[in-house]
Amino acid sequence: MVETLHNLYIGFAVALSPNVLLYAFVGCVIGTLVGVLPGVGPLAGISLLLPASFGLDATSAIVLLAGIYYGAMYGGSTTSILMRIPGEAASVMTCIDGYEMTRKGRAGAALAVAAVGSYVAGTVSVVALMLLAPPLASFALRFGPPEYFALLLLGLLMLAYMSGGSILKSLAMATLGLLLGMIGIDPMTGFFRFSYGLVELGDGIGVVPVAVGLFGLSEILLTAGQPTPPEVKKPRLRELLPSRQEWRASLWPIGRGTVLGFLIGIIPGSAHIISSFVSYAVERRLSKHPERFGQGAIEGVAGPESANNSATSGAFVPMLALGVPSGPIPAVMIAAMMVHGISPGPLLIAQQPQLFWGFIASMYVGNVVLLILNLPLVGIFVNVLKVPYPLLYPSILIFCVLGVYAVNGSVVDVGIMTVMGALGYVLRKFDFETAPVVLGLILAPMMEMSFRQSLSMSSGSYGIFINRPIALVMLVVGLALLVLSVAPWLMKTLDWRQRFGLASGQEK
Amino acid sequence: MTTDRLSGAVLVVFALLVIFESRHYPLGTFRLPGPAFVPILLASLLLIFGMLLVFTSGDAPRISSIRWTEWHHAAAILAASVFAVFATERLGYRLTVLLIVGFLIKVVERRGWMQTLGLAFGLAFGSFYLFYTLLRVPLPEGPFGF
Amino acid sequence: MREIYSSNGLGLHRQIYFIFALLILLLFLFGLTAESFGQDSFPNRPITIVAPFPPGGVADLTARPVAAAMEKVLKNPVVVVNKTGAAGAVGMSYVANSKADGYNLLMALSSISIIPEADKLFDRKPAYTMDQLIPIALISADPTIFVVNADRPWKSVKEFVEEAKKRPGEISYSSSGVYGTLHMAMEMLSHSAGINLKHVPYAGAGPALTAILGGHVDTLASGPAVVIPHIKAGKLRPLAGWGAKRVASLPEVPTFKELGYDIEFYIWAGLFAPRGTPAPVMQKVRESVKQSVNTPEFKSAMEKLETPIAYMDAPEFEKFWQKDAKMLADAIKRIGKIEIPEAK
Repeated sequence: MVETLHNLYIGFAVALSPNVLLYAFVGCVIGTLVGVLPGVGPLAGISLLLPASFGLDATSAIVLLAGIYYGAMYGGSTTSILMRIPGEAASVMTCIDGYEMTRKGRAGAALAVAAVGSYVAGTVSVVALMLLAPPLASFALRFGPPEYFALLLLGLLMLAYMSGGSILKSLAMATLGLLLGMIGIDPMTGFFRFSYGLVELGDGIGVVPVAVGLFGLSEILLTAGQPTPPEVKKPRLRELLPSRQEWRASLWPIGRGTVLGFLIGIIPGSAHIISSFVSYAVERRLSKHPERFGQGAIEGVAGPESANNSATSGAFVPMLALGVPSGPIPAVMIAAMMVHGISPGPLLIAQQPQLFWGFIASMYVGNVVLLILNLPLVGIFVNVLKVPYPLLYPSILIFCVLGVYAVNGSVVDVGIMTVMGALGYVLRKFDFETAPVVLGLILAPMMEMSFRQSLSMSSGSYGIFINRPIALVMLVVGLALLVLSVAPWLMKTLDWRQRFGLASGQEK
Repeated sequence: MTTDRLSGAVLVVFALLVIFESRHYPLGTFRLPGPAFVPILLASLLLIFGMLLVFTSGDAPRISSIRWTEWHHAAAILAASVFAVFATERLGYRLTVLLIVGFLIKVVERRGWMQTLGLAFGLAFGSFYLFYTLLRVPLPEGPFGF
Repeated sequence: MREIYSSNGLGLHRQIYFIFALLILLLFLFGLTAESFGQDSFPNRPITIVAPFPPGGVADLTARPVAAAMEKVLKNPVVVVNKTGAAGAVGMSYVANSKADGYNLLMALSSISIIPEADKLFDRKPAYTMDQLIPIALISADPTIFVVNADRPWKSVKEFVEEAKKRPGEISYSSSGVYGTLHMAMEMLSHSAGINLKHVPYAGAGPALTAILGGHVDTLASGPAVVIPHIKAGKLRPLAGWGAKRVASLPEVPTFKELGYDIEFYIWAGLFAPRGTPAPVMQKVRESVKQSVNTPEFKSAMEKLETPIAYMDAPEFEKFWQKDAKMLADAIKRIGKIEIPEAK
């Protein structure tokens, strides 16, 4: 313990040195900008600025990139809440209740809770990272394809809890999303599926164009032509902060989101995206008034936002503790380290203590910086809503196009966004939810791949899912959840029959 | 004809299309699934969901009750977006944005020239400066040097 | 649009529509036919090096020091742009089909030879063909090394091959994807040693490495830079290398050639240009690359990446590329399409 504190002291000495502090600040600002832009998420942001970091020393470079990552997660919630446009894939769930809160005049409260929740989650998860990195990382490495498949299946089952409207419709939408995820090169055999000659579809339809199209573009398609401008109550200054009741309601969701997000984040792979979906589903399930979700429930903002911030720190656990590239973003960070001659591996913490502890300390600092940056910005951002809608929506369109284009430099993505926007418009007219499509799209490639990899590993035996303890546990939990969700419906049916039997008994 | 019946029917047709298109790829077996395995599985699920939707949607609203009043604007926005797809790399980012914003604000929204040009130039050059110059995001330049 | 027509009659708004349409038409025509100005002195515009893989990968990390060095030599901006997708096919076909004026170059890996072959295998219209590109220079060539998870008992290639013959189809290896470079390397080993291994493809080199570290597969073929830290930490054990010479940082690891297997495989990175680029432009580019790889900044950048420089100018690189491409083509034909058993 003493050693940890001593190391932390070294770390803070590094992190608070003016140079490093400057880069942390710059990273956070850039990250926020990048996050606010629809579509361009942390990965795109880090990738774009990776070359700029080559000229810096190792610690500053890593701190800069991590700051961008963090800032993007904070910034992503801003457009989600204010305009129902996801800043990145992980902010999709925040769009739902966050925007409803904006329409009720509670935009400031939503933004503030998102910022504070992100801060708490970020800080707590950094502490966990610091204290638990090596043992957690070893545990995380034991997640192979069967465990991964079980986890994703669990995530999909959570879907049943996510939806407000008809479960059948949500399941249909999720299946649609899963099918959309089938487009692209089949990684197990090399076949190009459903790509119809467009090379750009080789990697499938990106999550970003679909999310921005289904949520952001469809939103302006629906509202631009309304005879009366959208009903957005302009909040007064006093109403910018959450009420005491709202704070109380957010407490537990923030806590649960933090833990959930961190645990999901440490698992290698891109699982951390689903942390916000899972958190939303959990909050909805545990709430005493689930019907409030989808109408502006603050728990629907607090939980997902905390979850996706702590998943961020979680994603660094395998990278820092073992040098394992546990996802695309840690892979870029590892590359950044390698360019500076630092080879990340299990010995990183021992051999490069200033890097590791400086990194940890700068994450604390980064979180504080972002909180200080974002809270006053709430007031500024809310003023964006005062712009008359006929002038606002062309700007939104431009930013959507810019954001989606910037991710890959591809107009095909913009085309996908357009198609998805039109689809989202029609879907919402027909009263379908669009969030399950995004979830399905994210999960499909990963689920199919881990499913077929598992069968490959076991040479075709399905027993592999049952023989491995972690996978088995998750499948059992999933099954239990499924039964629990079906149970009320089942009970009602039995009850009805009983009552019928009783009635006919009485008639005799 | 209710909304649910129509959407259910569309889903059924789509699912059948997917199954039909998957015939190009090998199916494989349960032990070693091929590229067509999971798509056909999912499409079958969608088929079931679609049919359930068609047959159990007793209390859905009728199609005629859906209001499409805003479709003119929606069409304009979609047209602008399609234009962006084809024009961004040929005409350059800033020119495309200028045209799109100009079109939407002047022609569709019928605002004055001051607002139109102000917002158009502001957005086009402002966003370009922010993202290309400051953040080094590659944005295409057009044939006129801008 | 009824509102637009009704109020002011046909006058003002119709005219605006017309002007806009005319303007757009004119601009389109201009855009389609615009000549690139100043073709005399190359270069007078920023040169783009396309890296067809995401940032942080081998192509990207090699391209950036090259771009930086070339910029100094040519005194002209050289930018790296990532055009990712389809295991590199998107970026490669982009350059193959772009204007051959020397401003669009490609930093490709050995997979450039694999993709058109794979397309042929699947009767697909190829995204590009190899004669659409001409080589400029080879920059680096990392010999692949063969590592096993440290918990496995095999301490030499001999032990490994013996075991593999006893249990065909059971020992597993991960790869960055079907027909990817890591798959090809293992495939050549299997063929040469006469063994049958279980292939578990992953979506990229990163996940493949994570898989072997987690013990989910037994072996892996990988570029040396990413696995050396894990070897030093005792998590992975190197058994042999696919290079002609031993890897500098792993002097005790023999090469497959030394052990009697006639196989050689490198994950190389080289610069290409579209075919038809005028000869003087090509000459200038080749010269600048030759100078760039000799600058101290470039050398130190590559050293930090632990990637040895293996520079070859165009003529030698062309020979190298042809030989490598033929070897890969043979391997792909041998692998054929992954066997999918017929559904009963």
